[in-house]
Amino acid sequence: MNSLLLVARREISTQLRTKAFVIGLIVTVVIMAGLAFAPKLMGGPDSYTLGTVNSQQLPLKAAAPDIEFEWRSFPDAAAAKKALLDGDLDAVLVDGTKVQTDGEIETELGVLLQSVNREARLGAAGVNIPPLAMESVGADTRYQEARAGIATVLVILLFMLVIGQAMMVAMGVVEEKGSRIVEILFASLRPWQLLGGKIVGLGVIGVINLVVTLAAGLIAAFASGLAMDFPPGMPMIVTWVLVWFILGYAFYATLAASLASLVSRQEEVGNTLTPMTMLIMVTYLVGFFAANQPTGTLAQIISIIPPFSSIVMPVRLAAADVPLWEVSLAAVLMVAAVLGMLSVGAKVYERAVLRTGAKVKLGDVLRAK
Amino acid sequence: MLEIRELRKRYADKVALDGVAFAVRPGEMFGFVGANGAGKTTTMRIVMGVLRPDAGEVAWQGRPLGAADRRRFGYMPEERGLYQKMRVGEQVEYFGRLHGLSQPKARRATDELLERLSLTERRADAVEALSLGNQQRVQLAVALVHDPEVLVLDEPFSGLDPIAVDALAGVLQERCRGGVPVIFSSHQLELVERLCDAVGIVSAGRMVASGTVEELRAAESSTLRVVVRDAQPGWADGLPGRLTVNGDRHVLLVEAGEDQEILHRAIKAGHVEHFGVEHPTLTEIFKEAVA
Repeated sequence: MNSLLLVARREISTQLRTKAFVIGLIVTVVIMAGLAFAPKLMGGPDSYTLGTVNSQQLPLKAAAPDIEFEWRSFPDAAAAKKALLDGDLDAVLVDGTKVQTDGEIETELGVLLQSVNREARLGAAGVNIPPLAMESVGADTRYQEARAGIATVLVILLFMLVIGQAMMVAMGVVEEKGSRIVEILFASLRPWQLLGGKIVGLGVIGVINLVVTLAAGLIAAFASGLAMDFPPGMPMIVTWVLVWFILGYAFYATLAASLASLVSRQEEVGNTLTPMTMLIMVTYLVGFFAANQPTGTLAQIISIIPPFSSIVMPVRLAAADVPLWEVSLAAVLMVAAVLGMLSVGAKVYERAVLRTGAKVKLGDVLRAK
Repeated sequence: MLEIRELRKRYADKVALDGVAFAVRPGEMFGFVGANGAGKTTTMRIVMGVLRPDAGEVAWQGRPLGAADRRRFGYMPEERGLYQKMRVGEQVEYFGRLHGLSQPKARRATDELLERLSLTERRADAVEALSLGNQQRVQLAVALVHDPEVLVLDEPFSGLDPIAVDALAGVLQERCRGGVPVIFSSHQLELVERLCDAVGIVSAGRMVASGTVEELRAAESSTLRVVVRDAQPGWADGLPGRLTVNGDRHVLLVEAGEDQEILHRAIKAGHVEHFGVEHPTLTEIFKEAVA
């Protein structure tokens, strides 16, 4: 165990010192901050510029507090029409009876103008209609958009981190195999200690990465006000993301290490990792799908099956409410898959990592007694 | 004592080891020689547990060698392996710790070794920035940092300049005098002859000769070489051996044996410039053994 920790510590201190790690971290922080501020910069609340000709302004703001309205009055219909055609106005209210637009009016604006106008006229006539009370008896969908957004960001984040760290593990394995350091290392430690230390060390780097990224995203979201749209239970979602990242990483990193132990040169890493890359790509695509359709049957089933669950489940958890039994079942199955992968992967690694030269065939390794 | 007992190893298409056996005593420097592909590296890799033999075993202190024992061995593989991007000092210290040294001990051992191998100034440099000779010194430091009980070095001298060879040889002799059995393989037979107490010659997976250099020599016949200047022609008639006349010098090469009679005749014949038994060099013994 002590040797495993020594190996892990070396991996961590080596990685922390690389430029790639520091730059990568800065880039993700910037991207997360960008994502948190993007809605504000790009969309923001809608705003309309309206004109009046011989009319009163309507109390639109009272009916739609999220929307900005700017009113301009024009001396005659011709001036208003010109402004309309120049694109300076969205609509003009003429004589309190007619709305002119350039092309068809936006539905939202049209409905708003009609109902506010009606209400104003009725009010003037002394008719008071109490507004309709609105309530939902179904699922709480207030946060759906925000949840889908968070889930989408999570898919990308988890995918990048899992594949990135698994790749680092693979490259480290080949570095040690190709340079024959393993020969010296194995005189002082067992193969599982070297493999375990590498996976743990690079996993810690991955967790640091993930925590920093999530923290950057959350802080930026609070700063930009985006966090107001966040669903309750964010701490729970973040905790689950960490747990599922660790499980997914453990699975894919072990797979990467055992595949990498078959080859001796860095150039061969990409090739030998193809099965892992395919698997993780599938997971990624399904994860994307689940972010948008979290309650679909496909998302529901795939989010329970390992190793897909490692990305799809946290995404579903972020995008919608998931029954506890589904999460528990998925977690149990994933842990079992990780343990299975560790036992097979460690065996392949131990048998293949000393056989330098041409690529070792996976079948040979598995068949060997 | 480290005993290599009847090791056999077969790869798919060829026999690599066919009963290799020898023993190295504490404080003994054992030179392992043989042609390329003879089985030296395979033997050493089996000793270090990198390979498993098909038959036979390696024993240390009379018991089969285990992982815990190997942790106290020092090993330098044929293909050098170091973390290229890791700093020299950190690397040596890391291996010390892997071999079970505490941090302060590993630090101290690293300091001493780097000093001894003239690498102190390169301590903070990445290994890849070092010359090959210096990388080899680091490799040796990695093998020595934990003060190993046994040293197994595959071609430790290859590619080194004479000064580096002396430095490395000095360090090995020092460890050897401290009671550590040292096995090293080499193609530089003069070096093996100079350094080693015992030599093993392996050929095609078999030990063809082993013992001290003296013992190996004793098995070979030595040659008596006599040089006589201004000798009377025909002085050597009736003597065994081969006489060549080189200007005014007569050179007689004869299997050592009846040397007093020959000396007598030579003194009478002329001016004796040289009279001595020439032992076969290790190179000659080696060529003879693997022929």
